[in-house]
Amino acid sequence: MTERVGFSAGRVGTIALNTFTESVRQKVYYILLIFALVVIASASFFAQFSFSEQLKFVKDFCLGALSVFGALIAIIGTAQMLPAELENRTIYTILAKPVRRGEFLLGKYLGSVCLVAVSLLFMGLMFGAALWFKEHRLIAEALAMAESTPADELQHTLQQIRAEALDPDILKGVLLIFVKLALLAVVTLLVSTFSTSMVFNVAVTVMVFLAGHLRGVATEAWGEMLWVRALLAIVPDLSAFNVADDIILGNVIPWGHVGKVALYGLVRTVILLAAAHLIFSRREI
Amino acid sequence: MDAIRTENLTKKYALGWRRGKLLALERLNLRVHEGEVYGLLGPNGSGKSTTLKLILGLVTRTEGEAWIFDVPCDQVASRLHVGFLPENPYFYRYLTGVETLEFYGRLCGMRGAALQKRIDALLELVGLARARDRRLAGYSKGMLQRIGLAQALVHDPKLLLLDEPTAGVDPIGSRDIRDLILRLKQMGKTVLLCSHLLAQVQDVCDRIGILNLGQMILEGDVRTLIRDQRRLSFTVQNLPAEGQARVEEAVRAAGGQVIAVEHPQTTLESLFLDALRKDERGMRQHD
Ligand SMILES: Nc1ncnc2c1ncn2[C@@H]1O[C@H](COP(=O)(O)OP(=O)(O)O)[C@@H](O)[C@H]1O
Ligand SMILES: [Mg+2]
Repeated sequence: MTERVGFSAGRVGTIALNTFTESVRQKVYYILLIFALVVIASASFFAQFSFSEQLKFVKDFCLGALSVFGALIAIIGTAQMLPAELENRTIYTILAKPVRRGEFLLGKYLGSVCLVAVSLLFMGLMFGAALWFKEHRLIAEALAMAESTPADELQHTLQQIRAEALDPDILKGVLLIFVKLALLAVVTLLVSTFSTSMVFNVAVTVMVFLAGHLRGVATEAWGEMLWVRALLAIVPDLSAFNVADDIILGNVIPWGHVGKVALYGLVRTVILLAAAHLIFSRREI
Repeated sequence: MDAIRTENLTKKYALGWRRGKLLALERLNLRVHEGEVYGLLGPNGSGKSTTLKLILGLVTRTEGEAWIFDVPCDQVASRLHVGFLPENPYFYRYLTGVETLEFYGRLCGMRGAALQKRIDALLELVGLARARDRRLAGYSKGMLQRIGLAQALVHDPKLLLLDEPTAGVDPIGSRDIRDLILRLKQMGKTVLLCSHLLAQVQDVCDRIGILNLGQMILEGDVRTLIRDQRRLSFTVQNLPAEGQARVEEAVRAAGGQVIAVEHPQTTLESLFLDALRKDERGMRQHD
């Protein structure tokens, strides 16, 4: 006679949307995003390099900014989620409804992933605008010097500028940044399932972020030591997601590589989500 | 079938490393019948909120078992027909009244026009129709309590668990909440109410249980419990002075004792409500 209540994607979606709305309406988020957009826009105003150097600089600078500001938004957005729910006891009102703890946790996580995605979208559009702006400046400069250059050389230069500005591999780079940030968000979520302090959550995740990027260097230097290897097993290799160098050098990034790295991120994310669920479902709230 | 049943329900909170455990609730056997209003009373820290949280599966039980409409409380399905108002509720500050109810309604599987209609009716019911599009960050304590009630009622549950529903609410607001509980009872709902404000509980509850230090120390029907079987009071009107002497004489002659002769006092609450009612500017329109 008793009704069964299965896992519901609708409830997960409702909680995700609520989490997203809640974050988007906070001042902290706006300030961070606006600051990031201003920084990205400023990339097109540096002009002390040569031709192709300038476009390379814009790409390098903007991809770096996307990664760092995206990480800040992912960490800050996720770190305060569970502590706020527990402190305001809003979690009681949710879990007193026919809602599973797993649905709650997944909804919270997807909400912050949405926040990261939307932020990346805005930052990405600004990145595109910065590139476009720089491209047109460079083309204008090239045309201004048109008299002193042979026609075919000018054509070549223009072609080179356009090709470099409209590099489709940039999209691959942004996609991998997104996968990396989603992984970073789940690390933050996992930490916040056993701590109650937002400061602790942020501190630990920032350390993981830094360690994840320095992982390659660390393996080379101290890979022999056992405790370093144990630590490295926990910390994901975040530098694997970094393809900015290839993009700047103009190397083609094969989709196979993108897929492999994205899969690595996805598997890591699912494992950490499962761990977070394991801890959270046992937790006294 | 009982709305709520517990058997030897026990909760020990772990206090952290090397500080042992705190026995918050000890072997509670509670039965709340369908359709009744049950008041769980007790001083602060006696285990009232813990009882509600155990029943809802929000905290894990140490021993014993609990059922809601015969469904074990660790199954999600046990919460299908329950509405819960936590103690001192706080909601999402950045949502408006309507958005808050939409959120909780969707969690209960409600959608579309039916949900919107329900939300309008609820906001009317709890007197928040005019504050519907304001964010909860700007709500007063009493308003938060009322949006909390609306949230608990959104899916029209058969059972309501209310933890201190009138705490921090002014007398008018708390009378409204009391009237609302009585109306819910008339609609056939079951209510489990926690409070330490005894006067209010007396008016609405059919049965009460008193908890102290995690143990049920007294339980029963409210009217029976508070009736003083050995005493009797008359309330008479327009009795002249010599009439009073004759009545007292008659009581003594019949073998009784006169304990007190006094003018009945109105409660401060009814005085307060009366004064407001007489004020020509009218009562405060609820927000
Ligand atoms: N999460 C918790 N951790 C440790 N002790 C708790 C916790 N929650 C409640 N207690 C303790 O359990 C006892 C009962 O608390 P509670 O059920 O909130 O009482 P009431 O609602 O009757 O005021 C109190 O002594 C309280 O300090
Ligand atoms: Mg309490």
